[in-house]
Parts: sequence; structure tokens; C-alpha cells
Amino acid sequence: MFLTIKIIKMNCQLCQKESDAYREGKLPPDMRIQVEAHLKECEKCAESYRLQALAERVINQEKEIRSNPFLSTRIMTRIENIETPGYETFPAFRRILNPALITVSMAAAILYGVMVGNIYQSGQSKNSIPVELALIDDATIESVNTLSNE
Amino acid sequence: MGFLHHKEDAEDLTQEVFIRAYQSLSRFKGDAAFSTWLYRIAVNASLNKVRKSSKNLILQHLDKLFGGEEVKEVPLPASDTEDPENILIQKEHVEWVRKALDSLPENQRTAIVLSKYDDLSQKEIASIMNTTEGAVESLLQRAKKNLREKLSTKRKNI
Repeated sequence: MFLTIKIIKMNCQLCQKESDAYREGKLPPDMRIQVEAHLKECEKCAESYRLQALAERVINQEKEIRSNPFLSTRIMTRIENIETPGYETFPAFRRILNPALITVSMAAAILYGVMVGNIYQSGQSKNSIPVELALIDDATIESVNTLSNE
Repeated sequence: MGFLHHKEDAEDLTQEVFIRAYQSLSRFKGDAAFSTWLYRIAVNASLNKVRKSSKNLILQHLDKLFGGEEVKEVPLPASDTEDPENILIQKEHVEWVRKALDSLPENQRTAIVLSKYDDLSQKEIASIMNTTEGAVESLLQRAKKNLREKLSTKRKNI
């Protein structure tokens, strides 16, 4: 019995197409040998293979992140409360509330500053001399002593 | 995680998907498997969330300005080495890969996420995306090619 080895003409396109299977160890031996030989010779394919391996590593690490163990409980609680009027609108309401509150607070602060400024200004005007007194010319008024001596 | 890369956002979205599925149960006709129907809701919700996120950048900056919590992506598990330079390089690589994935066209991104993150077969992906297996294979090949090119460009820019 003779063992038949399939000779494949390896090129960059084929190598990149088979790189996933090569990394996962799913290639038949003859193809695996061909891909390995090509990766040793071709720097472009070798670089491409390293970048693919990097992407796979990042994806695998993200896959390992586990969700909160109480997530299912939270979901069930929300489903149970789903008939409560207005309950489902609350999360959306909260998403709008934060920016709206910030805007209203800013407007209130500006308005407050303007009001305080106005009160301060009107307070100052109360300390000024009344019009009637301002019109009196001291030089033309007779002295009180003169009047009392008469 | 494949769409959002952020654990808390992914959990919030998972809740929304299940609520939506519960509220739409009467509309499930049984034409496809229940898992396929649920995956469709999840994919659509994820894509909507991604589209909205890109439009909400102004609100995010405003929130950050007023001391809001900064949304941070989940750091990946620490590697074996504690060399600071290696950690920095790792973080940079992670960022490259995430940005490269996020920049793929929606259908390619969906195909690659369902294939790589959820380990679904091409037949299952075709059923979820309402297309043929051949189209899914083509999408995956193009997605991988685009990913390689984008990562290669980032590498060259250093």
C-alpha cells in the first residue's frame, strides 16, 4: 500500500484562507505542512497571521468576561413588574432627566445671580438722598440762630 | 460584548432584549427557532444601541463636564507578565482590535460577532441574518480581510 501525499500549490490567498483552520489545528497534515512552510517564507502572510492571532486573543479574552450573577434575577423582577403603570417609562425618563436637570440648574443659577444683582442695585439707590432734599440750597437758608434772635 | 465591549452596557442591553422579547411573545409565529428569533431581537437592539451611541457623543461630553461617571470599557483580565511596558502594549493592541471591529460595516460586524463571540455555525448565522450560508461565508471572509487590513494599517502607523 502506498501513502498518497497531496501536493498543493500554496500561495498567499490560499494560506490566508486556511489560516483559521491552521490555528485551530483542523487542517489535514499535508495542508498543515504546506501552510507552515509558506508562513516561514512569506513575511506578509506571517504578519497577517500574527495580527489575526492578536484579534482572536482579544476576542477570546472578552468572551471570558462573566456577567453579574444576579442579572437573571433583575430581569425576572423587571418582567414581574412590567404591568406596573409607568414602571417601564422610568428608565427612559431617567435618561432624559439628567441633562434636563443640568440645564434647568444652570438657568436657575443665572437667574438667581441676576435677581441678587438687581436687589443689590435697588438697595444702593435707597441710600441716596431724596429729590426734595437734594434741591435745597444750604447757602440761601437763613441760619436758625438768626430766626431765634428775632 | 462583541458590539459594546462594555460589561454594564451589555448587561443593560440584555435586560432590554428579554423585556422586549417578553412583550413580543404573541408575535412569535414559530417560523424559525425561538433562539433564532431571540438572537434577531438581540442583534437589532445591539445595532440600534451602537448607532445611538455615536449620536450621543455631545451628551456624554456634557455629562462628563458636570462630574458624571466616565464610561470606561472593561479592562481585560491581567496577563501573566507584570512588565508595565508589556501591559501598555497589550492595552494598545486591545484598543486596535476593538476599533477595527467597530469600524466594520454592520452586516460584516454582525456576522463576525455571531461567529467569533457566540460560536454560531454559518447555517445559524444565515438564519438569524435572514440570508444564505454562502452570503454569510462571503461576509466572514470580507470581515476577516478588512480586519487584517485595518490592523496592518495601525501597525504600520507606529
